[in-house]
Amino acid sequence: MEMVVVAPPASGKLEDLKRRFFATPRQAVISLLSLSVIVFLVWKLLNWAVFSAVFDASGGPDACHAASGACWSVIAARWRIIFFGLYPYEEQWRSALACVTVVAMTVLSCIPAFWTGRRIALVWGVGAAVFYVLMKGGLLGLGFVGEEMWGGLALTLFIFVTTCLVGFPLAICLALLRRSELPWISRTTGLIIDGVRSLPLISILFTFAIVLPFALPQWLQGDKLYRVILGSALFFSAYQAEIVRGGMQGVPRGQEEAAMALGLSYWHRISRILLPQAMRNALPATINQFVISFKETSLVIIVGFFEILASGNAAYGTGEWRFAYVEVYAFIAMIYFVFVFSLSRYGAFLERRMSVGER
Amino acid sequence: MFKLLRNQKVRNALLQALYVGALGALVIAGTLIARQNLAAQGITSGFDFLFKSTGWDLGFSLLPASANDPYWWYFIIGILNTLFLGSFGLALATLVGMIVGLAQTSANDLAKLLGRTYVDVFRNIPLILQVFFWYALITHLPPPRSAHEGWGMLLTSRGLYLPAPNVGGLALLAASLAVVAAIVLPIWLGRTSLLSRPLGQRFSVQLAAVAAALVCAVLFLFAGRLPDSPLLDLPSLQGLNLRGGLRIPPEFSALVVAIAIYGGSYIGEIVRGGFKAVGKGQVEAASSLGLTPWQVFTLVRLPLALRAMLPILANQYVWLMKATTMGIAVGFTDFFMITALTINHSGQTLEAIGILMAGFLAINLSLAALFNRINKAIALKGNQLRG
Amino acid sequence: MTVPTTQEIAVRVEGMSKYYGTFHALRDINLTVARGEKIVVCGPSGSGKSTMIRCINRLEEHNAGSIMVLGTELNDDVGNIDEIRREVGMVFQHFNLFPHMTVLENCVLAPMLVRKMPRAEAEATARRYLEKVRIPEQASKYPGQLSGGQQQRVAIARSLCMQPQIMLFDEPTSALDPEMISEVLDVMVTLASEGMTMICVTHEMGFARRVADRVIFMDAGEIVEEAPPEIFFTSAKSERTQLFLSQVLGH
Repeated sequence: MEMVVVAPPASGKLEDLKRRFFATPRQAVISLLSLSVIVFLVWKLLNWAVFSAVFDASGGPDACHAASGACWSVIAARWRIIFFGLYPYEEQWRSALACVTVVAMTVLSCIPAFWTGRRIALVWGVGAAVFYVLMKGGLLGLGFVGEEMWGGLALTLFIFVTTCLVGFPLAICLALLRRSELPWISRTTGLIIDGVRSLPLISILFTFAIVLPFALPQWLQGDKLYRVILGSALFFSAYQAEIVRGGMQGVPRGQEEAAMALGLSYWHRISRILLPQAMRNALPATINQFVISFKETSLVIIVGFFEILASGNAAYGTGEWRFAYVEVYAFIAMIYFVFVFSLSRYGAFLERRMSVGER
Repeated sequence: MFKLLRNQKVRNALLQALYVGALGALVIAGTLIARQNLAAQGITSGFDFLFKSTGWDLGFSLLPASANDPYWWYFIIGILNTLFLGSFGLALATLVGMIVGLAQTSANDLAKLLGRTYVDVFRNIPLILQVFFWYALITHLPPPRSAHEGWGMLLTSRGLYLPAPNVGGLALLAASLAVVAAIVLPIWLGRTSLLSRPLGQRFSVQLAAVAAALVCAVLFLFAGRLPDSPLLDLPSLQGLNLRGGLRIPPEFSALVVAIAIYGGSYIGEIVRGGFKAVGKGQVEAASSLGLTPWQVFTLVRLPLALRAMLPILANQYVWLMKATTMGIAVGFTDFFMITALTINHSGQTLEAIGILMAGFLAINLSLAALFNRINKAIALKGNQLRG
Repeated sequence: MTVPTTQEIAVRVEGMSKYYGTFHALRDINLTVARGEKIVVCGPSGSGKSTMIRCINRLEEHNAGSIMVLGTELNDDVGNIDEIRREVGMVFQHFNLFPHMTVLENCVLAPMLVRKMPRAEAEATARRYLEKVRIPEQASKYPGQLSGGQQQRVAIARSLCMQPQIMLFDEPTSALDPEMISEVLDVMVTLASEGMTMICVTHEMGFARRVADRVIFMDAGEIVEEAPPEIFFTSAKSERTQLFLSQVLGH
């Protein structure tokens, strides 16, 4: 349809501003109120974080006491413990490299060219292996560092990656079992999924870390770290399974019928027809779930792991830096923010792109 | 034999039996091993321990509790604490979320920016980090000696001290019920068909109801006044300690603030989504009927948006309720922390975990049931609806 | 009409019934289709015609009676079901092409996975059949980029790539815009002229007249009338058939 374009009345910048923010008295009040809040917050924040802040670590805590702003020197003095925890000092480059591996893995997974089951599995499998070898060593001339020495950001990322690596295939299995035509299988699986979903993650982590050893024979107990990862993977998979199932429900029934009529076996129908389409439908919700799961890895602090939050507590908790807790938490929050915000922005971008594609 | 295995029905039956059997065997084996292991430590299984006294003290409790009380009493206190924290957190989070959501849907770009920034910042920082932050902030407040003072309140590293009414427990309960009635009554009066007045013209009736309820509340408070004491018990510094008033411990305030802020960012997004789901046509139709912007908002946009957001909101509430378990991070004795302490002290691992699961299942199911009822009650009638 | 011998029988349905819960969807269906025969099934909606042909490749399970396809009994035996599905092709009302694969991939998937055909051979076969349905140039496109008529022709080619002995058509033209119906029917006519055994559920009476050896009319889950088209269209015995025909042909 042809539209007749009416030129807006000749307007300068001022007119434009007036129209946007001062159209009615009520609008004007809201605008002024919002503006003053924004100006106040931005000024306070900048003043605290930049103008009056101490960046140089050489002055020590005393320089901070004198200043009115943020004491970033605590980060300069303690960043190693926040990032690497108790990892041996001269080996910390390995921990750093391992973190870079995870970031690279995540970036690769965001590229559509890697969105086939095999490639994504390859990226994550290889990435996790590289991470593990780098961290643990005992191979290729790298010194051995046991899991009990891991900490900080590296431990957080390790728990996150292994949770996804174990949880994702498990989620697909659970989703398939739940939509099974066999009533006993689907009902039992439904019970498991709903049961896990109704429990708080902390209680599951606690169960796996502290209660499970009672219920397992000695040879099956394994390290506490891996039990906790298993628990967090179970929790992740219960939520992710429902997302995958939702994606499967979005695939028309005719798709599977056509595959059946062509004589495809169950596994071929699932792997070639159902899953590729279901995963595509479920992609935005899946990314959202990854984001939530990344934030939730911080809960392992409660069962006694030295992940990034715990190492942050340690960074300010001892003696001289006791007052600088705001800066440490702000720094850790920033690290989380960078990871989580970029991932969720990417998810939102995908969602928009996909909804455009549907039209 | 092979022929039998190729039969679809036989196969299906076999698969189901295998699956359920394997899971069942796993659970039974685990339970048996656990019993054996616990028995080796001299712990007998069963729920008898619930009636033994605990021997340890609670940090926070709404009801009187001492180390002599039995475990079952502690569990009840734990559930109450969880619900107490949860309802405060949820109410505040809803309030914050409403404001943030409205800011986000506002026509004003500056307000929108504020709302958007709030959501982006607080949603992307883990809740437990926020809990730690607020807890650290409160415990780093000045000690009672040099407390911040204002409006009869004291702000110290030991917690927030509020003026407390010197009123008997029963009267207090009655007064709070009257306040609740003051909120619920006008809503009910606005919707019921018992009144003959048309729906839009009940303002005076509603006003009268609110006034009556509030007067009742005040009367209850005066009637229940403890003899020989001022109406308000103000907290004050005596020596190195604080006396009087109502103390809100740092653990509780840190958790409530964190849940309100974090939950508020999620609820803000839900509110925004709800308003986005209201069709433009409906709003245009309402405006073209000559309704004022305020009427369009309260009579058309809000009711429709509420219906759209309620199911998602229910999920969020359940999530936030579960998030109260972070209490253990700062030492708030919620249901989960009581369970963990029980396991530590009594060793009744399986039983305690069982109680925890049953408790959360009950909380979640009743929340879900409540929201289902609300949802059904307010759902748009008929199936000829178009978006 | 001579009684065909066992080898000449493609499909034999005897006393078949099907229930959905308590709803009796198919009642005592008896039908014998010889090799090379073309059957058109018609009837009002909900009469069970789709359900019947979906039973022949076990997309639906029948509850009573027996179905023999190409000498193999269709029962709970998984091996038999696989065998029959390999030899019976099906074309759906809504095409059901796999949207995440190109046209060529749609066509080579089943031959490679089920018949274990090498890729080169499968692609050659696929191109041959795409040529036959007159869209060889669309091989590298995705189904979503094709028109409805083109998609349905791809669906036919995809089925043919498995080199089935029997083809089932479940209302292949019902979801198409009118101007695209003939391009699909043309392909089906060609297929018929080459001797394919076909069972078609369709309302295209012109197609039935031209191609069918027998026309079957179903109503309320029963076969009401079964006759060669020249008799079916001129002197149907049952009133229900006559009413249906007057509705379909009336305008």
